[in-house]
Amino acid sequence: MSDVNISKLKGIVGDAYVIDFPSEMAKYLKGQGKPAVVVLPASTSEVSSIVKLANEKNVKLGVGGAVVDTQGITGGIAMVMSRMNRILEMDHLNLVAVVEPGLLHKEFLLKVGEAGLNFPPEPYVIETSSIGGCFAIGDSDSKSFEYGPTRTFLLGFEMVLPTGEILEIGNKCIKNVSGLDFIHFAVGSQGTFGIFTKLLVKLLPVPEAKKAVIGTFASMHKANATFNTLIKRNVHPTRMNLINASLAKIAKPGTEGQLVIIDLQGFKESGKNIVNEVASVLTLGGGSDVKIIEEGAEYDQVINGWLKARAELNAKPSEIVEFVVGPMKMPQALSQLEAQTGELGAYPGIIVEGLLGYVCLALPEGTDKLALARKVNKLAMSLGGNVKGLLGHKLKAEVYNDAEMWKQTTSLLSELRQQFDPKGILNPGVSLEA
Amino acid sequence: MLSQAVVKRLKEIVGERNVVTDKVGLLTYGYDGTLLSGEALGVVSPTTTEQVVEIVKLMNEQDIKLVPRGAGTNESGGTIPSAKSVVISFTKMTKIHEIDTENFVAVVEPGVINFDLQVELAKKNFYFPPDPSSFKASTIGGNLGECSGGPKCFKYGVTRDYMLGLEVVLPNGKVIQTGGRNFQSEPGYDLTRIIVGSEGILGLVTKVFVRILPIPRAKKTMLALYDKVEDASQTVADIVAAGIIPTTLELMDNLLINTTEDFTHAGLPRDAGAVLIIEVDGYPEDMDGQVKTIGEIASKIAKEFKVAQTAVEVDQIWTSRRSAFGSVARVRPSYGVNDITVPRSNFPKAIGGVLKVAKDFGVTIGVVAHAGDGNLHPLILFDQRNKEETETVHAAEQALCMMALDLEGTISGEHGIGLVKKKYLDKEFTPAAMEAFRKIKRSFDPSNRFNPGKIIDL
Repeated sequence: MSDVNISKLKGIVGDAYVIDFPSEMAKYLKGQGKPAVVVLPASTSEVSSIVKLANEKNVKLGVGGAVVDTQGITGGIAMVMSRMNRILEMDHLNLVAVVEPGLLHKEFLLKVGEAGLNFPPEPYVIETSSIGGCFAIGDSDSKSFEYGPTRTFLLGFEMVLPTGEILEIGNKCIKNVSGLDFIHFAVGSQGTFGIFTKLLVKLLPVPEAKKAVIGTFASMHKANATFNTLIKRNVHPTRMNLINASLAKIAKPGTEGQLVIIDLQGFKESGKNIVNEVASVLTLGGGSDVKIIEEGAEYDQVINGWLKARAELNAKPSEIVEFVVGPMKMPQALSQLEAQTGELGAYPGIIVEGLLGYVCLALPEGTDKLALARKVNKLAMSLGGNVKGLLGHKLKAEVYNDAEMWKQTTSLLSELRQQFDPKGILNPGVSLEA
Repeated sequence: MLSQAVVKRLKEIVGERNVVTDKVGLLTYGYDGTLLSGEALGVVSPTTTEQVVEIVKLMNEQDIKLVPRGAGTNESGGTIPSAKSVVISFTKMTKIHEIDTENFVAVVEPGVINFDLQVELAKKNFYFPPDPSSFKASTIGGNLGECSGGPKCFKYGVTRDYMLGLEVVLPNGKVIQTGGRNFQSEPGYDLTRIIVGSEGILGLVTKVFVRILPIPRAKKTMLALYDKVEDASQTVADIVAAGIIPTTLELMDNLLINTTEDFTHAGLPRDAGAVLIIEVDGYPEDMDGQVKTIGEIASKIAKEFKVAQTAVEVDQIWTSRRSAFGSVARVRPSYGVNDITVPRSNFPKAIGGVLKVAKDFGVTIGVVAHAGDGNLHPLILFDQRNKEETETVHAAEQALCMMALDLEGTISGEHGIGLVKKKYLDKEFTPAAMEAFRKIKRSFDPSNRFNPGKIIDL
């Protein structure tokens, strides 16, 4: 039996927003866990009351924007933030917005665009990602070389802590080093320090011009070699991405071969020259169907294609291996990778974010992820990188033969988590052990 | 006093010459850029991570606190020795391990001076964007500890934006690595970010992986002169509204124009109410358009607008700005630097607020500001030897902080909290946020061994 007090939850958010019929719950959930109830709060105080209730009864609570990952919350509460989806303020003078976490990332991009402003972080999964999720995951993306990773765009927030207490921090100053930097530390904490209920987001002016260059290549290596040429020529586009053949069809239906997408956001004058320079480099590097895209709708289509391919991999975190090397080391990385995996073009999915030196590898069915990650990490480390994130740290410590460092790191992480969430009720599915 | 046995152990760890215990020697490590001072039991200068680990273990055994220090140029009191403490000076960890321009990363020890790194990078046509005014003396470790800013933050951000990874010695003497050589290597939590700006209260950084960038192909430096400071802030707002992100929007008021002129003879008109230094960078073909737009915007209000035509002119402009703090010493022997920041839209009000504080307290205040960031450095001029006047200055500083908070700003834009602003911290942060800081400190340093009393008390 679950300890969830349904009637109390109904008292907090209203009958209509407490769902405990499994068939109705399904659309809000993903994963194998079986929470007892889905609840949709509409305000910070409702979130706080729900968390307090969970805390009293020691009930596990998972949070999501539109969809909640159910891992670790069987018998617990799945909290969906989608009703908290307002833009509370769009401040043109200070280039900031105040947003509720349940607003879909794609909706926010639309609204920001309409206001003539720019919010660079890419949506993780186009259809379902929320702004709260964007900062809870707190990733970098293929635009981070130019704009910085996601955390760069958070200036403050309101958060409900795992105890139900409400914490507000930050202000509209783009420069702020007061106190400890809990503002940016919370980014990427995956809802383990608390639940974002309001986000104070930094925006930028819209670039004067946006253009793209696309081209297809017979091999990943040839395509990737053009990236090195561009970096050597001191050309640093906004995005410099490569999608392997099998995934390229999702990005751009009908594509034969590996697809290169170069995104150039900036000024009109330089844009004209750079776009030609890039197109020549791609052509000389063996690209076919190299095309300069200047028209707005077509540009959007190309970028959306990229996001679609990216989302395809983001949606299956357990079936991918991600690693990073120095951007100029990518040719070696791909060759060595191929020695391990076989022909790259045939792989179910590979994307390369050239400026970041980042590779995401979708694994064929039946792959032993950890075994492959271990090999890939060794390869990456020899090229100035490593497997991404927590897993990467574990594998790095293995390579250093430094079990002590890994132990120190994880005990520090769990101590931090414990300080904020002594009962361990919030997003228990998030592992800090890799 | 350190016992002979401890001194002997320290000397065994770092070598005879890297331990200071004599009174005169200790005195020099008792100060920083503030008016505060303290006295350490000793100063120890390690040269390797292993030595740092040994020192930490020894100090833990002896129940002696450690206070980390770079060049000691900070304006927060962050390196002032606390009671029963040993200063751990990183000025001998000055190796630049690696500069990898192809992969946009440099690996340095914390004692490397910002300027020295810039010089090495410039040889390869690269640079490290954070360059606080102190950059000729201050260390990367110190910049990291205070999360320093500088004049380029409007476009390029502060120190935290260029830290990719760290090697950290924890208060228990264990070593961890945070981040790595790229954006994607944090272990679950973004440990690098919480250590940057933590003034050494969470860990001692012994190696730093920094992000480096190619020097922009082109740069244009402009100068606009105004009758009133408020006019300059209008130009700032208009430039931002036009969708241009300059690297720099630096402002100096009439007082600073005159003090820097005394020193640099750069030719700024002494009767101007304010000068705005504007710089844009990027591709050469974009420069003319931006300069034209900015010129049109500025000329609506400015009494004079000019574009620097030569490198010498650019240098002259920057010499004025960089010498601003020091130049006021000609007027009065002491000055207190403030670091208040407000949302850009409140910048004109903040200028008004500074004038009001000057009037209310009867003190002389000059204003240098990173106007694009809303970051003001009101310099209060006084004579430290005059106790009564010093008291007044402290009261005025408090009034400035409160004014910034009333304007929805912060008490620190780029200098940090240390001891100087610690007393105002709970005016800026709610009890829940203050408690979050303590939770973080407790997780790293439950026994309060590293730089105790800075930023927060446990």
